[in-house]
Amino acid sequence: MGQLGEASVSTGSSGAGTPALRLGGAGKRFARNWGLRDVDLEVGPGELVALTGPNGAGKTTLLKIVSALHRATTGTVEVLGCRLPAEENLVRERSTLLPPHGYVYEQLTGLENLRFARLMAGVKPTSETREQIDRALDRVGLLAAADERVGGYSSGMRKRLAIARLLLRPVELVLMDEPYASLDVAGIELVDEIVGELRAGGSTILLASHRWERAIREADRLVVMERGRITWMGSPGEWAGRPAGAGGA
Amino acid sequence: MEMWLRTWAILWKDILIEVRTKGTFNAMAFFAALILFIFSFAIGPDFELLRRIAAGLLWVGITFTGLLALARTYHSEELAGGLEALLLYPGEPRAIFLGKLIGNLMVLLVVEAILYPVAAVLFHMQLAGHVLPVAGIAVLGTFGFSVIGTFYSALTLHLRAREVMLPLLVLPLLVPVILGAVSATAALIDPSARGGVGGWVRLLIAFDVLYFVVCTWTFPVLLER
Repeated sequence: MGQLGEASVSTGSSGAGTPALRLGGAGKRFARNWGLRDVDLEVGPGELVALTGPNGAGKTTLLKIVSALHRATTGTVEVLGCRLPAEENLVRERSTLLPPHGYVYEQLTGLENLRFARLMAGVKPTSETREQIDRALDRVGLLAAADERVGGYSSGMRKRLAIARLLLRPVELVLMDEPYASLDVAGIELVDEIVGELRAGGSTILLASHRWERAIREADRLVVMERGRITWMGSPGEWAGRPAGAGGA
Repeated sequence: MEMWLRTWAILWKDILIEVRTKGTFNAMAFFAALILFIFSFAIGPDFELLRRIAAGLLWVGITFTGLLALARTYHSEELAGGLEALLLYPGEPRAIFLGKLIGNLMVLLVVEAILYPVAAVLFHMQLAGHVLPVAGIAVLGTFGFSVIGTFYSALTLHLRAREVMLPLLVLPLLVPVILGAVSATAALIDPSARGGVGGWVRLLIAFDVLYFVVCTWTFPVLLER
Protein backbone atom coordinates (compact mmCIF):
# COMPACT_ATOMS: atom_id res chain seq x y z
CA MET A 1 0.00 0.00 0.00
CA GLY A 2 2.58 2.53 1.05
CA GLN A 3 2.22 6.30 1.02
CA LEU A 4 -1.27 7.71 1.24
CA GLY A 5 -2.82 11.04 0.53
CA GLU A 6 -4.64 13.06 3.17
CA ALA A 7 -7.93 11.23 2.68
CA SER A 8 -6.57 7.75 2.96
CA VAL A 9 -8.33 4.59 1.90
CA SER A 10 -7.45 1.03 2.66
CA THR A 11 -8.94 -2.39 2.98
CA GLY A 12 -8.46 -4.87 5.76
CA SER A 13 -5.74 -7.37 5.14
CA SER A 14 -7.50 -10.37 6.59
CA GLY A 15 -10.82 -12.00 7.17
CA ALA A 16 -13.77 -12.75 5.00
CA GLY A 17 -17.21 -11.28 5.67
CA THR A 18 -17.86 -8.35 7.98
CA PRO A 19 -14.84 -6.25 8.85
CA ALA A 20 -14.17 -5.81 12.56
CA LEU A 21 -13.98 -2.10 12.03
CA ARG A 22 -14.92 0.27 9.23
CA LEU A 23 -14.59 4.05 9.36
CA GLY A 24 -15.78 6.11 6.43
CA GLY A 25 -14.74 9.76 6.40
CA ALA A 26 -14.82 9.83 10.18
CA GLY A 27 -14.02 13.12 11.88
CA LYS A 28 -14.26 14.56 15.36
CA ARG A 29 -14.38 18.24 16.17
CA PHE A 30 -13.64 19.65 19.64
CA ALA A 31 -14.90 23.24 19.74
CA ARG A 32 -12.99 24.84 16.83
CA ASN A 33 -10.35 22.15 16.43
CA TRP A 34 -10.58 18.87 14.59
CA GLY A 35 -9.13 15.98 16.60
CA LEU A 36 -9.74 13.61 13.73
CA ARG A 37 -10.46 14.38 10.08
CA ASP A 38 -11.61 12.33 7.08
CA VAL A 39 -10.38 9.01 8.37
CA ASP A 40 -11.13 5.97 6.24
CA LEU A 41 -10.00 2.73 7.78
CA GLU A 42 -11.03 -0.89 7.54
CA VAL A 43 -9.71 -3.60 9.85
CA GLY A 44 -10.33 -7.27 9.20
CA PRO A 45 -11.33 -9.81 11.88
CA GLY A 46 -8.35 -11.12 13.84
CA GLU A 47 -6.06 -8.44 12.48
CA LEU A 48 -3.63 -6.51 14.67
CA VAL A 49 -3.34 -2.93 13.51
CA ALA A 50 -0.88 -0.57 15.15
CA LEU A 51 -1.74 3.13 15.18
CA THR A 52 1.25 5.32 15.61
CA GLY A 53 2.14 8.98 15.36
CA PRO A 54 3.22 11.87 17.56
CA ASN A 55 1.24 13.25 20.49
CA GLY A 56 -1.93 14.93 19.27
CA ALA A 57 -2.04 12.83 16.10
CA GLY A 58 -5.58 11.64 16.86
CA LYS A 59 -4.83 8.08 17.97
CA THR A 60 -6.72 8.34 21.26
CA THR A 61 -9.61 10.18 19.62
CA LEU A 62 -9.91 7.42 17.05
CA LEU A 63 -9.92 4.74 19.77
CA LYS A 64 -12.52 6.64 21.79
CA ILE A 65 -14.78 6.88 18.76
CA VAL A 66 -14.39 3.17 18.02
CA SER A 67 -15.05 2.27 21.68
CA ALA A 68 -18.23 4.42 21.64
CA LEU A 69 -16.90 6.81 24.29
CA HIS A 70 -17.01 9.67 21.77
CA ARG A 71 -19.30 10.25 18.83
CA ALA A 72 -17.87 11.08 15.44
CA THR A 73 -18.85 14.54 14.22
CA THR A 74 -18.72 13.45 10.59
CA GLY A 75 -18.61 10.20 8.65
CA THR A 76 -19.70 6.69 9.48
CA VAL A 77 -18.37 4.25 12.05
CA GLU A 78 -19.16 0.55 12.00
CA VAL A 79 -17.70 -1.74 14.67
CA LEU A 80 -18.17 -5.53 14.52
CA GLY A 81 -21.05 -4.99 12.13
CA CYS A 82 -22.77 -2.50 14.48
CA ARG A 83 -23.39 1.10 13.47
CA LEU A 84 -22.32 3.77 15.90
CA PRO A 85 -23.80 5.56 17.76
CA ALA A 86 -27.08 3.67 17.24
CA GLU A 87 -25.75 0.35 18.51
CA GLU A 88 -23.17 1.61 21.00
CA ASN A 89 -24.28 -0.75 23.73
CA LEU A 90 -23.67 -3.77 21.51
CA VAL A 91 -20.23 -2.41 20.66
CA ARG A 92 -19.39 -1.97 24.35
CA GLU A 93 -20.49 -5.54 25.02
CA ARG A 94 -18.24 -6.95 22.31
CA SER A 95 -15.21 -4.70 22.68
CA THR A 96 -13.02 -3.28 25.41
CA LEU A 97 -10.54 -0.45 25.79
CA LEU A 98 -7.30 -0.36 27.72
CA PRO A 99 -7.07 3.35 28.51
CA PRO A 100 -3.71 5.09 28.90
CA HIS A 101 -4.34 6.10 32.52
CA GLY A 102 -6.05 2.93 33.63
CA TYR A 103 -9.35 4.36 34.95
CA VAL A 104 -8.77 2.68 38.29
CA TYR A 105 -10.05 3.82 41.68
CA GLU A 106 -7.26 4.75 44.10
CA GLN A 107 -9.33 4.24 47.23
CA LEU A 108 -10.22 0.65 46.33
CA THR A 109 -7.87 -2.32 46.42
CA GLY A 110 -6.78 -4.05 43.24
CA LEU A 111 -9.20 -6.89 44.02
CA GLU A 112 -12.10 -4.48 44.60
CA ASN A 113 -11.36 -2.63 41.37
CA LEU A 114 -11.69 -5.88 39.43
CA ARG A 115 -14.83 -6.88 41.37
CA PHE A 116 -16.34 -3.54 40.43
CA ALA A 117 -15.37 -4.04 36.78
CA ARG A 118 -17.05 -7.45 36.70
CA LEU A 119 -20.25 -6.09 38.25
CA MET A 120 -20.30 -3.17 35.84
CA ALA A 121 -19.92 -5.59 32.97
CA GLY A 122 -23.11 -7.24 34.21
CA VAL A 123 -21.44 -10.41 35.52
CA LYS A 124 -23.19 -11.69 38.62
CA PRO A 125 -20.88 -12.66 41.49
CA THR A 126 -20.50 -16.42 41.83
CA SER A 127 -18.40 -18.78 43.91
CA GLU A 128 -15.80 -18.64 41.11
CA THR A 129 -15.54 -14.85 41.03
CA ARG A 130 -12.59 -14.64 43.41
CA GLU A 131 -10.75 -17.41 41.59
CA GLN A 132 -11.19 -15.69 38.21
CA ILE A 133 -10.05 -12.35 39.57
CA ASP A 134 -7.06 -13.96 41.28
CA ARG A 135 -6.12 -15.62 38.01
CA ALA A 136 -6.20 -12.28 36.18
CA LEU A 137 -4.19 -10.60 38.95
CA ASP A 138 -1.69 -13.44 38.93
CA ARG A 139 -1.32 -13.15 35.16
CA VAL A 140 -0.19 -9.53 35.50
CA GLY A 141 1.93 -10.17 38.61
CA LEU A 142 -0.31 -8.34 41.08
CA LEU A 143 -1.69 -11.20 43.14
CA ALA A 144 0.51 -10.34 46.14
CA ALA A 145 -0.79 -6.75 46.04
CA ALA A 146 -4.43 -7.71 45.50
CA ASP A 147 -5.59 -6.43 48.89
CA GLU A 148 -3.57 -3.22 48.82
CA ARG A 149 -5.24 0.05 47.91
CA VAL A 150 -4.44 1.24 44.39
CA GLY A 151 -3.42 4.63 45.80
CA GLY A 152 -0.23 2.90 46.96
CA TYR A 153 0.43 1.30 43.55
CA SER A 154 3.11 2.62 41.21
CA SER A 155 2.00 3.83 37.76
CA GLY A 156 3.27 0.57 36.29
CA MET A 157 1.19 -1.46 38.77
CA ARG A 158 -1.88 0.59 37.89
CA LYS A 159 -1.32 -0.16 34.23
CA ARG A 160 -0.98 -3.86 35.06
CA LEU A 161 -4.26 -3.68 36.97
CA ALA A 162 -5.96 -2.15 33.95
CA ILE A 163 -4.54 -5.01 31.85
CA ALA A 164 -5.93 -7.52 34.36
CA ARG A 165 -9.37 -5.89 33.92
CA LEU A 166 -8.99 -6.49 30.21
CA LEU A 167 -8.56 -10.20 30.87
CA LEU A 168 -11.78 -10.54 32.85
CA ARG A 169 -14.07 -10.35 29.86
CA PRO A 170 -13.35 -12.10 26.55
CA VAL A 171 -14.26 -9.77 23.68
CA GLU A 172 -13.96 -9.69 19.90
CA LEU A 173 -12.27 -6.29 19.61
CA VAL A 174 -9.55 -5.05 21.95
CA LEU A 175 -8.50 -1.40 21.80
CA MET A 176 -5.23 -0.56 23.50
CA ASP A 177 -4.21 3.04 24.05
CA GLU A 178 -0.51 3.39 24.85
CA PRO A 179 -0.32 -0.10 26.42
CA TYR A 180 3.46 0.19 26.91
CA ALA A 181 3.36 3.51 28.77
CA SER A 182 4.51 3.45 32.42
CA LEU A 183 5.70 -0.15 32.15
CA ASP A 184 9.15 -1.55 32.82
CA VAL A 185 10.82 -4.10 30.54
CA ALA A 186 9.01 -7.04 32.17
CA GLY A 187 5.72 -5.16 31.85
CA ILE A 188 6.31 -4.43 28.17
CA GLU A 189 7.01 -8.11 27.57
CA LEU A 190 3.84 -8.96 29.47
CA VAL A 191 1.82 -6.71 27.14
CA ASP A 192 3.35 -8.44 24.12
CA GLU A 193 2.50 -11.86 25.58
CA ILE A 194 -1.08 -10.83 26.31
CA VAL A 195 -1.46 -9.33 22.84
CA GLY A 196 -0.27 -12.69 21.47
CA GLU A 197 -2.76 -14.59 23.64
CA LEU A 198 -5.63 -12.31 22.60
CA ARG A 199 -4.75 -12.81 18.95
CA ALA A 200 -4.56 -16.55 19.43
CA GLY A 201 -8.05 -16.34 20.91
CA GLY A 202 -9.28 -14.65 17.71
CA SER A 203 -9.60 -11.07 18.95
CA THR A 204 -9.03 -8.16 16.62
CA ILE A 205 -6.62 -5.64 18.12
CA LEU A 206 -6.18 -1.95 17.48
CA LEU A 207 -3.10 -0.79 19.36
CA ALA A 208 -2.18 2.88 19.59
CA SER A 209 1.33 3.76 20.63
CA HIS A 210 3.74 6.57 19.91
CA ARG A 211 6.47 3.93 20.30
CA TRP A 212 6.20 2.90 16.65
CA GLU A 213 9.26 0.63 16.75
CA ARG A 214 7.46 -1.47 19.39
CA ALA A 215 4.14 -1.38 17.58
CA ILE A 216 5.75 -2.47 14.32
CA ARG A 217 7.08 -5.66 15.89
CA GLU A 218 3.63 -6.92 16.76
CA ALA A 219 1.42 -5.58 14.00
CA ASP A 220 0.04 -6.98 10.77
CA ARG A 221 -0.43 -3.46 9.57
CA LEU A 222 0.85 -0.07 10.56
CA VAL A 223 -1.24 3.10 10.39
CA VAL A 224 0.62 6.37 10.82
CA MET A 225 -1.37 9.40 11.92
CA GLU A 226 -0.56 13.07 12.12
CA ARG A 227 -2.77 16.04 13.01
CA GLY A 228 -5.89 13.91 12.99
CA ARG A 229 -5.33 12.34 9.59
CA ILE A 230 -3.89 9.06 8.37
CA THR A 231 -0.68 9.86 6.53
CA TRP A 232 0.66 6.39 5.83
CA MET A 233 -0.65 2.85 5.94
CA GLY A 234 1.01 -0.42 5.09
CA SER A 235 2.73 -3.52 6.37
CA PRO A 236 5.69 -3.32 8.74
CA GLY A 237 7.84 -4.56 5.85
CA GLU A 238 6.70 -1.69 3.65
CA TRP A 239 7.41 0.69 6.50
CA ALA A 240 10.98 -0.59 6.75
CA GLY A 241 11.48 -0.13 3.00
CA ARG A 242 9.68 3.23 2.67
CA PRO A 243 11.37 6.20 1.01
CA ALA A 244 13.17 8.49 3.44
CA GLY A 245 10.76 10.95 5.09
CA ALA A 246 7.59 9.16 4.03
CA GLY A 247 4.93 8.74 6.68
CA GLY A 248 6.24 11.28 9.06
CA ALA A 249 6.62 9.04 12.12
CA MET B 1 -31.63 -7.15 36.04
CA GLU B 2 -28.24 -6.14 34.70
CA MET B 3 -29.20 -2.52 35.22
CA TRP B 4 -29.75 -3.12 38.94
CA LEU B 5 -26.45 -5.01 39.16
CA ARG B 6 -24.69 -1.98 37.68
CA THR B 7 -26.63 0.36 39.96
CA TRP B 8 -25.54 -1.73 42.93
CA ALA B 9 -21.93 -1.79 41.68
CA ILE B 10 -21.76 2.02 41.59
CA LEU B 11 -23.45 2.35 44.97
CA TRP B 12 -21.16 -0.29 46.55
CA LYS B 13 -18.06 1.38 45.11
CA ASP B 14 -19.12 4.88 46.26
CA ILE B 15 -20.06 3.71 49.77
CA LEU B 16 -16.74 1.90 50.10
CA ILE B 17 -14.82 5.00 49.01
CA GLU B 18 -16.88 7.26 51.29
CA VAL B 19 -16.41 4.97 54.30
CA ARG B 20 -12.65 4.95 53.69
CA THR B 21 -12.12 8.63 52.97
CA LYS B 22 -15.08 10.18 54.83
CA GLY B 23 -14.40 13.09 52.48
CA THR B 24 -17.98 14.11 51.94
CA PHE B 25 -19.62 13.10 55.19
CA ASN B 26 -17.22 14.78 57.63
CA ALA B 27 -17.22 18.05 55.70
CA MET B 28 -21.01 18.03 55.42
CA ALA B 29 -21.72 17.19 59.04
CA PHE B 30 -19.33 19.85 60.30
CA PHE B 31 -20.60 22.49 57.86
CA ALA B 32 -24.25 21.73 58.63
CA ALA B 33 -23.75 21.96 62.39
CA LEU B 34 -21.85 25.23 61.90
CA ILE B 35 -24.69 26.76 59.88
CA LEU B 36 -27.28 25.84 62.50
CA PHE B 37 -25.13 27.24 65.32
CA ILE B 38 -24.59 30.49 63.41
CA PHE B 39 -28.34 30.90 62.86
CA SER B 40 -28.99 30.11 66.48
CA PHE B 41 -26.48 32.71 67.74
CA ALA B 42 -27.51 35.30 65.16
CA ILE B 43 -31.19 35.18 66.07
CA GLY B 44 -30.65 35.03 69.81
CA PRO B 45 -32.75 33.56 72.61
CA ASP B 46 -36.15 34.45 71.12
CA PHE B 47 -37.58 30.94 71.45
CA GLU B 48 -40.91 31.80 69.87
CA LEU B 49 -39.28 33.30 66.78
CA LEU B 50 -36.84 30.39 66.54
CA ARG B 51 -39.67 27.87 66.72
CA ARG B 52 -41.60 29.66 63.98
CA ILE B 53 -38.70 29.79 61.54
CA ALA B 54 -37.06 26.51 62.59
CA ALA B 55 -38.16 24.51 59.53
CA GLY B 56 -36.87 27.21 57.18
CA LEU B 57 -33.52 27.45 58.97
CA LEU B 58 -33.18 23.69 58.99
CA TRP B 59 -33.75 23.44 55.23
CA VAL B 60 -31.37 26.31 54.53
CA GLY B 61 -28.78 24.21 56.39
CA ILE B 62 -29.72 21.07 54.45
CA THR B 63 -29.61 22.94 51.13
CA PHE B 64 -26.16 24.44 51.57
CA THR B 65 -24.80 21.24 53.08
CA GLY B 66 -26.36 19.17 50.32
CA LEU B 67 -24.67 21.30 47.67
CA LEU B 68 -21.34 20.15 49.11
CA ALA B 69 -22.33 16.52 48.61
CA LEU B 70 -23.68 17.13 45.11
CA ALA B 71 -20.46 18.82 43.99
CA ARG B 72 -18.58 15.64 44.94
CA THR B 73 -20.98 13.22 43.23
CA TYR B 74 -18.54 12.24 40.50
CA HIS B 75 -15.37 13.00 42.46
CA SER B 76 -14.13 9.38 42.47
CA GLU B 77 -14.58 9.23 38.69
CA GLU B 78 -12.68 12.48 38.25
CA LEU B 79 -9.76 10.98 40.18
CA ALA B 80 -9.98 7.79 38.11
CA GLY B 81 -9.85 9.69 34.82
CA GLY B 82 -13.37 10.95 34.21
CA LEU B 83 -16.86 9.62 33.62
CA GLU B 84 -15.38 7.52 30.84
CA ALA B 85 -14.27 5.18 33.62
CA LEU B 86 -17.94 4.21 33.89
CA LEU B 87 -18.86 4.47 30.22
CA LEU B 88 -16.41 1.78 29.17
CA TYR B 89 -18.84 -0.86 30.33
CA PRO B 90 -21.84 -2.15 28.43
CA GLY B 91 -25.37 -1.73 29.72
CA GLU B 92 -27.95 0.90 30.48
CA PRO B 93 -26.26 4.26 31.27
CA ARG B 94 -29.17 5.20 33.53
CA ALA B 95 -27.70 2.76 36.07
CA ILE B 96 -24.95 5.35 36.62
CA PHE B 97 -27.56 7.97 37.48
CA LEU B 98 -29.50 5.65 39.77
CA GLY B 99 -26.38 4.45 41.61
CA LYS B 100 -25.16 8.01 42.15
CA LEU B 101 -28.66 9.17 43.14
CA ILE B 102 -29.08 6.50 45.80
CA GLY B 103 -25.58 7.27 47.09
CA ASN B 104 -26.33 11.00 47.42
CA LEU B 105 -29.68 10.26 49.02
CA MET B 106 -28.07 7.98 51.61
CA VAL B 107 -25.32 10.44 52.55
CA LEU B 108 -27.82 13.32 52.86
CA LEU B 109 -30.23 11.28 54.96
CA VAL B 110 -27.46 10.23 57.35
CA VAL B 111 -26.40 13.88 57.73
CA GLU B 112 -30.03 14.87 58.29
CA ALA B 113 -30.36 12.20 60.97
CA ILE B 114 -27.76 14.21 62.89
CA LEU B 115 -29.06 17.62 61.81
CA TYR B 116 -32.69 17.23 62.89
CA PRO B 117 -31.96 16.50 66.60
CA VAL B 118 -29.39 19.33 66.67
CA ALA B 119 -31.95 21.70 65.14
CA ALA B 120 -34.61 20.48 67.57
CA VAL B 121 -32.40 21.47 70.49
CA LEU B 122 -31.13 24.77 69.06
CA PHE B 123 -34.45 25.99 67.64
CA HIS B 124 -36.77 24.45 70.23
CA MET B 125 -38.61 22.43 67.58
CA GLN B 126 -41.44 20.30 68.97
CA LEU B 127 -40.64 17.00 67.24
CA ALA B 128 -42.26 14.80 69.89
CA GLY B 129 -45.20 12.98 68.40
CA HIS B 130 -44.27 14.06 64.86
CA VAL B 131 -41.03 12.16 64.35
CA LEU B 132 -42.30 9.80 61.66
CA PRO B 133 -44.21 12.39 59.58
CA VAL B 134 -41.27 14.82 59.82
CA ALA B 135 -38.90 12.01 58.74
CA GLY B 136 -41.22 11.19 55.83
CA ILE B 137 -41.18 14.81 54.66
CA ALA B 138 -37.40 14.87 55.02
CA VAL B 139 -37.12 11.78 52.81
CA LEU B 140 -39.43 13.28 50.16
CA GLY B 141 -37.59 16.60 50.17
CA THR B 142 -34.17 14.98 50.13
CA PHE B 143 -35.19 12.70 47.26
CA GLY B 144 -36.17 15.65 45.04
CA PHE B 145 -33.02 17.48 46.10
CA SER B 146 -30.83 14.46 45.24
CA VAL B 147 -32.48 13.85 41.87
CA ILE B 148 -31.92 17.40 40.64
CA GLY B 149 -28.46 17.60 42.21
CA THR B 150 -27.21 14.29 40.80
CA PHE B 151 -28.42 15.25 37.33
CA TYR B 152 -26.93 18.73 37.32
CA SER B 153 -23.70 17.52 38.89
CA ALA B 154 -23.16 15.40 35.76
CA LEU B 155 -24.23 18.29 33.53
CA THR B 156 -21.70 20.69 35.05
CA LEU B 157 -18.90 18.12 35.39
CA HIS B 158 -16.85 19.51 32.52
CA LEU B 159 -17.59 23.20 33.09
CA ARG B 160 -14.72 25.41 34.15
CA ALA B 161 -16.75 27.33 36.76
CA ARG B 162 -18.54 24.23 38.02
CA GLU B 163 -18.55 25.27 41.70
CA VAL B 164 -20.48 28.41 40.78
CA MET B 165 -22.63 26.94 38.03
CA LEU B 166 -23.95 23.99 40.04
CA PRO B 167 -25.76 26.06 42.72
CA LEU B 168 -26.89 28.60 40.10
CA LEU B 169 -28.58 25.89 38.04
CA VAL B 170 -29.82 23.73 40.90
CA LEU B 171 -31.25 26.25 43.37
CA PRO B 172 -34.02 27.68 41.14
CA LEU B 173 -35.23 24.16 40.37
CA LEU B 174 -35.16 23.26 44.05
CA VAL B 175 -37.58 26.05 45.02
CA PRO B 176 -40.73 23.88 44.88
CA VAL B 177 -39.00 21.04 46.74
CA ILE B 178 -37.64 23.29 49.48
CA LEU B 179 -40.91 25.22 49.69
CA GLY B 180 -42.86 21.99 50.05
CA ALA B 181 -40.50 20.49 52.62
CA VAL B 182 -40.29 23.67 54.74
CA SER B 183 -44.03 24.35 54.67
CA ALA B 184 -45.01 20.75 55.40
CA THR B 185 -42.50 20.51 58.27
CA ALA B 186 -43.64 23.86 59.68
CA ALA B 187 -47.29 22.85 59.46
CA LEU B 188 -46.49 19.72 61.46
CA ILE B 189 -44.36 21.17 64.24
CA ASP B 190 -45.92 24.61 64.59
CA PRO B 191 -49.70 24.53 65.10
CA SER B 192 -49.90 28.28 64.43
CA ALA B 193 -48.51 27.82 60.89
CA ARG B 194 -50.97 28.28 58.05
CA GLY B 195 -51.94 25.62 55.57
CA GLY B 196 -52.39 21.90 55.81
CA VAL B 197 -49.65 19.31 55.54
CA GLY B 198 -51.45 17.31 52.84
CA GLY B 199 -51.23 19.92 50.09
CA TRP B 200 -47.52 20.48 50.60
CA VAL B 201 -46.82 16.75 50.68
CA ARG B 202 -48.72 16.33 47.40
CA LEU B 203 -46.63 19.14 45.90
CA LEU B 204 -43.46 17.41 47.07
CA ILE B 205 -44.53 14.05 45.64
CA ALA B 206 -45.55 15.64 42.33
CA PHE B 207 -42.19 17.38 41.87
CA ASP B 208 -40.26 14.30 43.04
CA VAL B 209 -42.00 12.16 40.41
CA LEU B 210 -41.65 14.81 37.69
CA TYR B 211 -37.96 15.42 38.35
CA PHE B 212 -37.18 11.71 38.69
CA VAL B 213 -38.85 10.79 35.39
CA VAL B 214 -37.36 13.70 33.42
CA CYS B 215 -33.83 13.36 34.86
CA THR B 216 -33.70 9.56 34.53
CA TRP B 217 -35.05 9.73 30.99
CA THR B 218 -32.66 12.42 29.78
CA PHE B 219 -29.52 11.39 31.68
CA PRO B 220 -27.96 9.40 28.79
CA VAL B 221 -27.97 12.58 26.70
CA LEU B 222 -25.58 14.17 29.23
CA LEU B 223 -23.07 11.41 28.62
CA GLU B 224 -22.83 11.99 24.86
CA ARG B 225 -19.48 13.44 23.84
